[in-house]
Amino acid sequence: MFQSKYGSTGIVDKPFRPGKQEVALSAFAYLFSELVQYCQSRVSNISELERKLDEVGHGVGLRLLEVLAYRERGQRRETRLLDMLKFVHSTLWRYLFGRQARDLEQSNTAEDEYMISDTGGVPREMGHLNPAAFVAGIVRGTLDGAGFPARVTAHYVPVPGQPRPKTVILMKFQNYQAIMQRDKQQ
Amino acid sequence: METINAEIFTLTYGSMVRQLIADYEDVEEVNKQLDKMGYSIGQRLIDEFLAKSKTQRCADFRDAAEKIAKVGFRMFLNVTAAVTGWNAEGTECSLILEDNPLADFVELPEQLAGLKYSNLLCGVIRGALEMVNMEVECTFVRDVLQGDDANEMRLKLLSSSTETYPFKDE
Amino acid sequence: MPCFTFYIFNRKGACQYYHEWQRLKPVRSGAGSQEEDFKLMFGLFWSMRALSSALDPKNPAKQQMGAPQRIGDGCSFNSFRTSAYKLHFLESPSGLKFVLTTDPSVGSLAEALQYIYASLFVELVAKNPLYTPGEPFLFEPFSAALNKYMRTLGLLS
Repeated sequence: MFQSKYGSTGIVDKPFRPGKQEVALSAFAYLFSELVQYCQSRVSNISELERKLDEVGHGVGLRLLEVLAYRERGQRRETRLLDMLKFVHSTLWRYLFGRQARDLEQSNTAEDEYMISDTGGVPREMGHLNPAAFVAGIVRGTLDGAGFPARVTAHYVPVPGQPRPKTVILMKFQNYQAIMQRDKQQ
Repeated sequence: METINAEIFTLTYGSMVRQLIADYEDVEEVNKQLDKMGYSIGQRLIDEFLAKSKTQRCADFRDAAEKIAKVGFRMFLNVTAAVTGWNAEGTECSLILEDNPLADFVELPEQLAGLKYSNLLCGVIRGALEMVNMEVECTFVRDVLQGDDANEMRLKLLSSSTETYPFKDE
Repeated sequence: MPCFTFYIFNRKGACQYYHEWQRLKPVRSGAGSQEEDFKLMFGLFWSMRALSSALDPKNPAKQQMGAPQRIGDGCSFNSFRTSAYKLHFLESPSGLKFVLTTDPSVGSLAEALQYIYASLFVELVAKNPLYTPGEPFLFEPFSAALNKYMRTLGLLS
C-alpha cells in the first residue's frame, strides 16, 4: 500500500516513546470542538454526525489497541472475549479517563450484548449531541482491531437521585456464536 | 492546567486528518481545511491563553511572537518553540518547533507529499493573533514529515489595526 | 445589594450575551428596542474609555480625543457610579467587553469580572463546540454558572 520514501529509516526504526507526554486537556477540547463542527458541516442530522464521530473514534481505537497491547501487555493482545472486555473496561478506560469504568455487565435480554457504564469522565452532553459517540467509536475500533467486530453505541441513562446521567457503551457482537466457539478452542 | 495523555490527542488529530483526506480527496483542500479549523481554534483559544497567562495587552508583534513560542506552545502542547530569523523591520520571524506533538507516530506516504500535516498550527496562530488585532500570514516552510531537518513556521505581520467605533454617528 | 443587568460585547460592538435580573421596565416593553439598548451601552463605555484616557493626567503623551487606539492603550475605567446604579466594566486584551450593573452600594467587582471572563466564559463558552467566536450565544451551563456566582457574591438571592 503506502510506501515510505525514507526506505529503511522510517518511523518504525525510531524508538517508541514511553508515553508519558501530556498535553493540555483544553488543547484536546478545542480540537474535539473543531472536529464536531467540521463533521456537523458535512452531515444533515444528528445521527449522521454521531456516525462520523464514531468513524474518527474508530481510527483512534484501532491504533490505541496497538499502542496499549505493545506497552501495557508486553505485546500480547487478548484473544478471549471476556479478557478483551476486561481490557476495554480497565486498561483502555484507565488510559482514556485515568480510572477504570464503573461497571461491565452482560445484557439480561441478549447474550451477545455487553455494557460498560460509567459516570462522568466521558465529556458532558452538548445540546442534542452525544459526544460519547466518539468514545463508542474508540471502543469499536479497539474491538475491531482485536478481532471482535461489534456494533457499539453510546447512551445516556438517567440515574434516580443523581444530577448527571450515566454513560452506557453498548456492544453488540457480530458472529457471537463463532466467538464463543473460538473461545472454547483456546 | 488539566492535562491529557498526548497520544490520545495525537491519534485523534491523525484520525481527523485521515477523515479529511477521505472527504476531500485533494491534498490542497485538506491543507486549506486544516488551516481553517486551526483558525477557528485560535479564535477560541486566545481568551484562555490571555486569561491564564495574565496577559494584559499585546500590541507589539515581537512580544506576541515570543509569547506564542514560549508561553502558548508550553501551555497547550507542553513544548516550546524557538523564535529566530527576524527581518530588519521586525515584521517577520520563524518559529522552530523541535518537538511536534501532532506528528508523533506519523509518516507520510509519497502520495501525500503535498500534505501540510500540521497546518492546523498555522491556522491557530493566525486566528489567535487576529483576535488581538494583528493580521498575520503563517505557513510551514520546513516540515520533518516532508524530510526536512526541522519544523519551521514562517510568521509575517500584514497589518496591525486599531479599534474603530463600529457605529455611524447620527 | 442586587445586580441588574449583564452584557458581553464583542470587538465589533455586537452584543453576544445579555441577561437582566432586574429592570423595572424591560427594554422590550419600554421605549426603544433591544438593539438600541445595546448600541447605547456600547457607546457609553466606548466614550467613557476614550474620554478617561484623553484626560489622563499621568500620561505625558497626551491623547487626542477620538484618536485611534489599540486595545489596552491608555488607561481604562473599571466602574462608575450613579445615584441609581453602578456600572462595572472589564475589557479583555482580545477586546471582549464585560458589563455588569449593580446597586450603587456594591464595592469593586474588578476581580469578579475577571473571574467571569477567565473561568466562566473561557470554560463554558469558548470551549463549547457550539460556540462560534464573535456570535451571540445562549448556553445553559454558562447562564447557570453566572447565576450561581452572582449568588455567591451576594448580589442575587
